[in-house]
Amino acid sequence: MATEIASARGQLSPEARFLLLALPGALFVVAFLILPMLSILVFSFWRTESYNLIPEWNLGNYAILFTTPTYMTFLLRSVLTAVAVSVVALIYSWPIAYFMAKHGGRYRLLLSLGVAAPFFTGVILRITGIQGIMGPVGLINMGLMNFGLPPISFLMYTPTAAAIGIAYLFIPFMVTAIYLSLLNFDFELLEVAKINGAKAWRAFFEVTLPLNWIGTIIGLVLVFVPALGDSITARFLGGPNAASFGQVLSLQFGETGTWALGSAMGVVLFLVSSFVIFLMWRSVNLRRSGFTGREG
Amino acid sequence: MKAGELLARLTGGTLLLSLYLFLYAPIAYVIYVSFQKDLNWPFPPSWTLAHYAALGADQTYREGLWNSILLGVGSAVICTAVATMGSIAVLKYRSRWRALMVVIFLCPLFVADLLVGISNLLFNRQILNLPGNMGSAMIGNAVHCTSFAFLIMLAQLSRYDWRLDDAAMVFGARPLRCFFEVTLPLIWPAMLGAFLVSFILAFNNLEISFYNLGAIPTLPTIAWGSLRFGLGGELFALAALVNGVVLGAFVVMYLLMRYRIVSFGHRE
Repeated sequence: MATEIASARGQLSPEARFLLLALPGALFVVAFLILPMLSILVFSFWRTESYNLIPEWNLGNYAILFTTPTYMTFLLRSVLTAVAVSVVALIYSWPIAYFMAKHGGRYRLLLSLGVAAPFFTGVILRITGIQGIMGPVGLINMGLMNFGLPPISFLMYTPTAAAIGIAYLFIPFMVTAIYLSLLNFDFELLEVAKINGAKAWRAFFEVTLPLNWIGTIIGLVLVFVPALGDSITARFLGGPNAASFGQVLSLQFGETGTWALGSAMGVVLFLVSSFVIFLMWRSVNLRRSGFTGREG
Repeated sequence: MKAGELLARLTGGTLLLSLYLFLYAPIAYVIYVSFQKDLNWPFPPSWTLAHYAALGADQTYREGLWNSILLGVGSAVICTAVATMGSIAVLKYRSRWRALMVVIFLCPLFVADLLVGISNLLFNRQILNLPGNMGSAMIGNAVHCTSFAFLIMLAQLSRYDWRLDDAAMVFGARPLRCFFEVTLPLIWPAMLGAFLVSFILAFNNLEISFYNLGAIPTLPTIAWGSLRFGLGGELFALAALVNGVVLGAFVVMYLLMRYRIVSFGHRE
């Protein structure tokens, strides 16, 4: 109908309107995300000399990365931490998001903003807060020692402590993504499943989860990507045995000034996260996700 | 059956409470420390307002706060604008470019903060020959938040009835007028949500801002810079004040919802 009216008035076609609305944002992303990422891909094949990039093409940066065992250890550690944090966040966030969407009533927005509001406090202060609570001389351990109990050693500068910190920072993304997906989920469908004799668990795994799987995948991406690229949490909570790939990456842009090597590390980081996201996306069945139902 | 539902509800509620506790305990600790003489070892408590007085006397923190707000608002305006347009395009019109556009709008999700920061730094420096500045930091943060804003808009507008717009057009409204008089009044809660989330993320972003701001201080970069000498008490005091304002805003929102003055898009 809109088309007829538009053409009757000699206005733009829907295709042209689509492009008029979508292109500004798309060009924005291309100019300020995709071009810079392509530029570090180029720089990763250059070399650095006294804080300057020299355009001499070589594979040296990648050779260093893949032949130095410590870099591979950092990468592997980051991947394992990111996977573990994502899985824990997924299991923890689902019931929370479900509760907010189904029982939040008119306070839903407030409940969901409550999950986002911690971001008003800077990352460094929040991590300092975490340290103050669970660090070696933090509230928990000093409290335990006050009662003559031994301190909890896994909270003291370990990879586990870093993982808890990462989960702390990024769980809100997962909750929000699943919550947003559930906002458009028709809970009546569960009643239908029940009437047809499905048990609650079966209804969840065959109706709710598949229909919200895209939102869940987005949540997983939102946790996995920053968790993999984490540099701050590992530095403050992890101690010497938890150095992450992101931490070493950011070093290349700080003290050492080896930008070409840092670029190569950035490319590797991006490729690893893209590969994991690709694996996750393969689990999406568009027909069962309900996505095709909305097409047109 | 009823008992099972009640149990599920209780579990969900308890988990939500546990999440709030987990998220706000470190913040409560920061607020507590802002009133303590000894920042590193604040037990047993010895209360003081000295950090607040120092905060009032020091210009740097006010400047940082102002820059953070400017950065947050600028980024949020950019990405709410492009995301609103993008989401309307994707939901309202059929086009062979639709899938491609969705993918482009979601691209920033796949790139960690740190990478957005360093790639923009190197791109600006090496190719545009541009030193760190507020505009670059705003754009870097806006790119990162575009996907968030887009997804929020998409989720909230997917049930919007575009026939309302068609109806307005039938009665002769021009597209812009139709947007401001029909669409906007219905979608503003979604836009507010997208704006708020982008603002919060850009306001306190460290990794993108740090690499692109040059020497301009914002709250997170001041915190980063002062780590070497230990965080100043003023930072704790400022964080406490910001949280006080946020809490106040939440109370106002709650009251508006409680007495049904504004529903923020919720329909009974």
